[in-house]
Amino acid sequence: MTEVISAFVGIIKTPAVILGLIALLGLLVQKKSFSQVVEGTLKTMLGLLILSAGAGLIVENLAPFSEMFTDAFNLTGVVPFDEAVVGALSEKVGMIAQNTSLILAIGFLVNVILARITPFKYIFLTGHMMWIMAGGLAWAFYDLGVSELNTIIYGSFIQGCVLLLLPAIAQPIVRKITGNDKIAYGHLTTIGVVASAYVGKIFGNSAKDAEDMELPEGLSFFKDTAISVSLVMLIIYLITAIFTGAETMAKYAGETNFIVYSILKGLGFAAGVLILLQGVRLFLGEIIPAFKGIGMKIVPGARPALDVPVFFSYAPKSLMLGFIFAIPGMLVGLFVSSFFGTVIPLPSIIGGFFTGGMAGIFGNALGGRRGSMIAGFVYGLFLTIPVALFYPLYNLAEYGVQGVAYLVSDGIAVLSLIKLSFSTGFPVIGLLVFLAIFVFLCIRFKNRNENYQLEQ
Amino acid sequence: MNIVTLCGLGVGSSLMLKMTVEEILEEEGIKGRVENLDLGSAKAKQADLYVVSKDMETNLRDVEGKIIFIENLTDKEEVRKKFLEIVK
Repeated sequence: MTEVISAFVGIIKTPAVILGLIALLGLLVQKKSFSQVVEGTLKTMLGLLILSAGAGLIVENLAPFSEMFTDAFNLTGVVPFDEAVVGALSEKVGMIAQNTSLILAIGFLVNVILARITPFKYIFLTGHMMWIMAGGLAWAFYDLGVSELNTIIYGSFIQGCVLLLLPAIAQPIVRKITGNDKIAYGHLTTIGVVASAYVGKIFGNSAKDAEDMELPEGLSFFKDTAISVSLVMLIIYLITAIFTGAETMAKYAGETNFIVYSILKGLGFAAGVLILLQGVRLFLGEIIPAFKGIGMKIVPGARPALDVPVFFSYAPKSLMLGFIFAIPGMLVGLFVSSFFGTVIPLPSIIGGFFTGGMAGIFGNALGGRRGSMIAGFVYGLFLTIPVALFYPLYNLAEYGVQGVAYLVSDGIAVLSLIKLSFSTGFPVIGLLVFLAIFVFLCIRFKNRNENYQLEQ
Repeated sequence: MNIVTLCGLGVGSSLMLKMTVEEILEEEGIKGRVENLDLGSAKAKQADLYVVSKDMETNLRDVEGKIIFIENLTDKEEVRKKFLEIVK
């Protein structure tokens, strides 16, 4: 009997099954047909397995790169890419995978309950960001040696609070861009993007709108992830290989020509990214609709916090400006990071385009054309410098995850605060301080919101 | 009918669009299947209709088939209007 129970517990604790059960619940709540329930549950479980395969491929293709980079420049280079970090950690450490799924699900419920009872009426619906945050929390608490139960309790609570509060930070700018108060910004780059936009405001001039500019359309192919990731990884891999030199490269490439080897490895990384995203797509496709249904039912009139492209059409030229100027920002940040003695975060093109572009849009809203450019540049620094400073705080390579780094600014901020709180020896103090700040914010926010409504 | 919604990564706003299109299908009583994908995979995916954000128009030049471009991804009525124009 005990064997049956332990087998049962073993099945229940498998990450793919946990997520499958969550999807199953969601589908039942939505009153889907029997075939839809079966299909959705299976797809969710498959999604998690595909995701692990993609993460494995990414790590496999990056493994020689880290060593090559060290041979060439005597520095440790990492590719900042959150999905790969969480995916690979989930693959290597079962406990992290399991807690990630649970924090994702329970954290969402915390978000909904808090949206119901506090003045912050935001429901965070950007699924891959929720997953990255949940994964980051599961990783942090695992690394700090926190017990399984406490990881789930604190992780879910923090997850819910973070998802609730982040959209509020960006909302004043979002209102300016969209001209209404119906949707919110739901992304883990909020702190970076908003801070960059305010720097843009200081040095910018809101009288000159970036949207009046003429810009070539040639850059839009960067929106295609497969193309942009492949191109950038090819360039990074080839430059590193050339600096490593043909002789040393033989160590990695064997009989293969080292240029051909680098091209294949660079493309192999991109292939891993596409597989990983396919997995993410499968499981989010079943879970997010359920989250949306539940959230909007429990909190009527809530603002859904949505992914970045929702805002692109409001300011396409600012988007391009932000992206273009994020590139020199990332290069400067890369150079600055080389003095920290930790890791060198290589330019992240997905980060540069999607969220650098978002910094451009926010920057334009506050500081016009110049504000947009400056915000893009400053955000490029956010994509590199904090990544290098944060890298040593939690073990990563020790778990067999090499060559990638955690990128999103809000995730870095939250995990750093957790580390700080634990380093005092009394992490409970950190939690209490946070609770006090949260209550204070609720009261202030309520007043401000009422003022806003009066103005309308 | 087979409908594909698209965005850059194929996990975020394409999923939002998918949910919107599914709601419209149900409300209009039209049978259909909606799938969300990344831009790069669009060419390899046969569909009766593609739904995509307006700013990605240049990325879909080579894709054959009917495409509707949405200016405001959160505006369900815009999606409905453009969708019904194609269906009718």
